[in-house]
Amino acid sequence: MEALQLLGQGFATCFTPLNLSFIVIGVLIGQIIGALPGIGPSAGMALLLPLTYGVPPATAIMMLAGIMYGGMYGGTLTSVLVNVPGEAASVMTAVDGHQMARKGRAGAALSIAAIGSFLAGVAAVTAVVFITPPLAAFALKFNAPEYFLLALLGITACASLGTNSPTKALMAALLGLMIAMVGVDPIEGTQRLIFGQPALLEGIDFLPVAIGIFGIAEVLSSLERSQHAAPMRTRLRDMWLTTQEWAQSRVAIVRGGLVGFLVGVMPGAGPTIASMLAYVTEKRFSPQPERFGHGAIDGVAAAESANNAAAHGACVPMLALGIPGSASTAVLLAALILHGIRPGPGLMTEQSTLVWGLIASMFIGNLVLLILNLPLAPLFTALLRVPYAHLAPGILAISLVGAYASTLGFANVWISLAFGVVGWFMIKLDFPRAPLVLALVLAPLLESSLRQSLLLSFGSLKIFVERPLAAALLVCVVASLAFPLVSTLRRAWALRDVG
Amino acid sequence: MKPSDVVPALLMLVLSAAIALDTRSLGFWADTTPGPAFLPVWLAVAGVVLAVLRLVESRRFRAAGIEWPDRPAALRVAMILGGLVAVPLASPLLGLVPALALFVAFLLLAVLRQRLWPSLATLAITVGVVYGIFVAWLGVPLPKGVLGI
Repeated sequence: MEALQLLGQGFATCFTPLNLSFIVIGVLIGQIIGALPGIGPSAGMALLLPLTYGVPPATAIMMLAGIMYGGMYGGTLTSVLVNVPGEAASVMTAVDGHQMARKGRAGAALSIAAIGSFLAGVAAVTAVVFITPPLAAFALKFNAPEYFLLALLGITACASLGTNSPTKALMAALLGLMIAMVGVDPIEGTQRLIFGQPALLEGIDFLPVAIGIFGIAEVLSSLERSQHAAPMRTRLRDMWLTTQEWAQSRVAIVRGGLVGFLVGVMPGAGPTIASMLAYVTEKRFSPQPERFGHGAIDGVAAAESANNAAAHGACVPMLALGIPGSASTAVLLAALILHGIRPGPGLMTEQSTLVWGLIASMFIGNLVLLILNLPLAPLFTALLRVPYAHLAPGILAISLVGAYASTLGFANVWISLAFGVVGWFMIKLDFPRAPLVLALVLAPLLESSLRQSLLLSFGSLKIFVERPLAAALLVCVVASLAFPLVSTLRRAWALRDVG
Repeated sequence: MKPSDVVPALLMLVLSAAIALDTRSLGFWADTTPGPAFLPVWLAVAGVVLAVLRLVESRRFRAAGIEWPDRPAALRVAMILGGLVAVPLASPLLGLVPALALFVAFLLLAVLRQRLWPSLATLAITVGVVYGIFVAWLGVPLPKGVLGI
């Protein structure tokens, strides 16, 4: 009941002209960013983070979160109408959504995606309302060893799940940790890894790295080829679902939403894995699995419900524990830190207005997105006709000015450019970028809690196994590292048998 | 083994070595407390382990082919990067907004070969958005050039 009271206060926080307008701006930008291939929600959030310096933290976080889940809705448009996923989490939508569009049912695909995303999103936010407070209260029992292992789990799980090569993902995470070591030691204040460059004394900020790795790198990669695929047309009257289509989709929405939320809550897994898992699950449960891949509306419903539920589910560990579960929540967490707010289990009580305002804003944002995506979908389709070549210069210009504005100096601009190149190579070499960003955000917590733990135990590593909670987390860390190792070995054995 | 498999692993080895070398003078452990070099050294060790693992992995498994850009695409990326690098270099002289305007024009007309009038419209909108948001709304003092803009 207390949660509902606090949620009521959250709605009161949202219902100010400033906050409402920023929620609408956030979801609108998210919708557009999601629809445009070549830039994902994480990139959009990183690029627009400097724009939030002039507004209160709660308003800023509501807007950035709007971009995060708005992107899940927007990605559908390009997947269905162009057969190019607007962002990674819409990959599975393209499989059946575009087939539906080719059969003249693009409107129905967009409709069920919007309805599924809305229902699963609202259900996921409701779950966030009831799960986050007890989890945060439980996490107040955590001490340095648990925090160290939780941060480590966030990194290892992100690196282990959903990547082709866990070694590559772990290397990316390690690079993030190495970058975070640059600057001044947080406990003794000693200079570290500055390689004689005074500009590095303050360390390497999260923002220019994220702008470079996500924003600049994605634009560079997209501009390699000057391609522009014209989207298929859709009309408002085509968006009505038939009774049969609705009957096929409703259980898929429930299943997809559930799978998505559970995957989203897990540290490291994100909306992309959620949508893939939900699609596969739906195919397995379907009485006619052969329809999948040929325009199955339940496939679209499951994938879209899952990615939106996962985007909201990832907020649970972020709000309750201060551990981001995905690249987008890592940017959200960084935004909190940049606005002078300390994340962690204390956030729910210390920043109650912000947290409940954010949760309430997600209900409002999902409703706005439903309106944007049902009657206004044909309008957004027109946006897809703008050639990417005319959008890219704006994205790059905002990237550079955003990096400059964060410290009013060109050092961050150079860092952004350098990481733009690093990110481009990571895309080319198929290295995942999310673990790098996640590790960069979690590194300060990881290092300080590790050193505090060893200080508490007089240097003994037993502290990580003697405490039951720490021991349980250690098992999870080991499992997250062992899982990819075992699968790699199995792959090697399978190859040897074949060879 | 392909260079695309070997180079990242070698870079990780170089990075690990650089970290180990740079933190030599820092304390690893003092009495019962880990020092400033403690975590960096462990990260360097992990870097070596992962680099070796990656090399072994790439020897055992044939990775999917990497889609490197062809010559025109590589040239386009290089030109965009060149333009991006020119912005911070030219900003103290020209001012950040004029430097960005030149970059956008260069990108649209010279690199992406777009038509003149739509490009000019995009240029005006981009400059308007940057100026409107960062200067007029957020009040960010962007560097001005010799012309005072």
